[in-house]
Amino acid sequence: MANLGESETRALIQLIKPIADDEWIVGHRGSEWLALTPDLEEDLAFSSISQDELGHAQFYYELLHSLGLPSADELVYLRPASGWTNAQVLETPNQDWAHTVALRYLYEILDDIRHEALLGSWYQPLTDGVRKIRMEEKYHLQHFATGFELLATGTELSRQRLIEGIADIWPRLGDLFAWGGSEEFLEKLGLPNLAQAQLRHSWTTRMEKTFHDLELPWPGPMPGVNVNGRNGEHSQNLSKLLDVMTEVRQIDVNSPW
Amino acid sequence: MEETERTRIFMERINAGEKIEANDWMPAEYRNLLIKQIHMHGISEIMGAYPEKEWVPKAPSIRRKLALNAKVQDEIGHGQMLLRLAEDLSRPYGRGREELMDDVLDGRVKFHNVFHMEAPTWADAGVIGFLVDGGAIITQAMLLDSSYAPYARMLKRIVAEESFHMQHGEAVVLALAEGSQAQRDMLQGAINRWWEPMMFFFGPVQMGKGAQRMMEYKIRTKTNEELRQKFINRYVPRITSLGMTIPDSELRQDPDTKEWHYSQPDWERYNAMVRLNSGPMSQARIAMRRQAHEEQRWVREAMNKASERQVSEHQPAI
Amino acid sequence: MQDTVSSEYPVFEVFVQKEPLGFHTNVGSLRAANPELALQMARETFFRRENAYDIWVVPQDCIFGTAHDEAHLPVSGLDKGYRLPGGYDNASHWKKFRAKAMTIEEVAEDMRS
Repeated sequence: MANLGESETRALIQLIKPIADDEWIVGHRGSEWLALTPDLEEDLAFSSISQDELGHAQFYYELLHSLGLPSADELVYLRPASGWTNAQVLETPNQDWAHTVALRYLYEILDDIRHEALLGSWYQPLTDGVRKIRMEEKYHLQHFATGFELLATGTELSRQRLIEGIADIWPRLGDLFAWGGSEEFLEKLGLPNLAQAQLRHSWTTRMEKTFHDLELPWPGPMPGVNVNGRNGEHSQNLSKLLDVMTEVRQIDVNSPW
Repeated sequence: MEETERTRIFMERINAGEKIEANDWMPAEYRNLLIKQIHMHGISEIMGAYPEKEWVPKAPSIRRKLALNAKVQDEIGHGQMLLRLAEDLSRPYGRGREELMDDVLDGRVKFHNVFHMEAPTWADAGVIGFLVDGGAIITQAMLLDSSYAPYARMLKRIVAEESFHMQHGEAVVLALAEGSQAQRDMLQGAINRWWEPMMFFFGPVQMGKGAQRMMEYKIRTKTNEELRQKFINRYVPRITSLGMTIPDSELRQDPDTKEWHYSQPDWERYNAMVRLNSGPMSQARIAMRRQAHEEQRWVREAMNKASERQVSEHQPAI
Repeated sequence: MQDTVSSEYPVFEVFVQKEPLGFHTNVGSLRAANPELALQMARETFFRRENAYDIWVVPQDCIFGTAHDEAHLPVSGLDKGYRLPGGYDNASHWKKFRAKAMTIEEVAEDMRS
């Protein structure tokens, strides 16, 4: 990347890292559902989606590596919790199925908005990958949108559990839309649509339509950013997740596995 | 036509190497043997997901995590395909997916001894792919010639996917064998744990009545001992080439007959494990299946309820 | 209101299985008044020269298909080499241990003997 200036490189890292970490944590939590979803066919679908998410994260980590950061495996296996920039809500341990479907639907909408905006980047290695990623993400969004709709319109119980799931997630959504530090880097990258205010606006517009169509109660005002995972602020949930995730690798960090 | 005459014609078809389809007339015994075999096979695939599933969150590199994820997914996929066959065969008995899965929770269907065992280290995840899948591949390759066509067809797909499982399991084992002393020790430990269960896996030399009848119906084509010999013959040289030992001092090959002599596994212990679900991990894994199946029935009910409306609004595709 | 009877037959899609261990494949469609007739017509429409092991007919409006875009069809976005046998290079590692790599085709062949 000879023609990237230092500040452009920094800006790209600031942009890509939180997206990579979101995708990884979502893929990791998703794969914990393996063999535990409500039916065998869903297991197959959800596992593919989790693999896709982990694969997207891998693509972004490799991009970060090309920008001077450690290798993809090192970024995943050798970083302390404070170095992770995923949104906090994504590290929440899995709860019931309705909770997962709700969280994933809310996340996939943001991911869709985010990836669409990324296509506007002048950095071709990024847009080349994003184009491929969007092929898979469209299906993810469709899958969780269908699940969300069917639970909302299924039985009293499923609707109730979905509403409870949303209620649990909603107040903790704040940093999902945020970036680490100042947003000046978005100017440098020519991606103003990715500014927090923009993301919140686009996301809320789409979400309001869904809630209206499905006659779901609007969960309340959008939360602000109380703690910002983008700055490495995390709950115990992330350190526990990382302890499990790196357990084997820690036996010998340098040996091939 | 009389029952005996129909059976005679059916056996003529079997002996001529013809394939039987789901809707063909078949003796009740043939149907029941198939249901028992395919139900157990499918459930074993599903229960076999659990020992490896535990290691997906802990897989030590990105590539291993992706591969193990995909591998466990395939096992569930095989379970899905096989259960569909068992469901079709069980239709005359009014039993479907819900009942066949309930059978696991109530202990009415058995699953392979190996999936009742602990998998305490990452090397176990590798050795399961290496030896258990290796054994399963041998068994399943035999079934490619099964007289029941839907089973043979599915096995063709399954065996094709097992090809990736074999490469994955070997890759994990090879990396450990090439690694540090700690990694090699971990590998040896896992081989020590899995060898004896694998000797049991193929079943007793003296096959039971059901297994013998399955040979006569050409549902299966090889004896337990033939399969075990093929397994030993393939895997002993591979394991020793890695500088690993096999935990059986009796193991040796007769230079003339090429037959392998091996120590008898603890038949009583493993039989009890399978029959009573009393292995070290039997209950924990059944509990996970219960969590997925029984405790999420509400999800399937909701999906059905909501879909009743949707389907009636759907436009045909063509 | 008077009942009107349509003179147009419904459409059936035809699926053929060529050999016992093959899968059913769609070969075309035809019109017939009912499934039984559709099966008879399928013989004449598609198998005047070919053998078939089994034939299915399915009312066309019972078929639900995917839309032809990325969200609906399985397309591989990023590399999925990790789940393909060809994504592994175990042979060179086995060689280090003076052992030969093994393929599933070889195992399957061995079981036929």
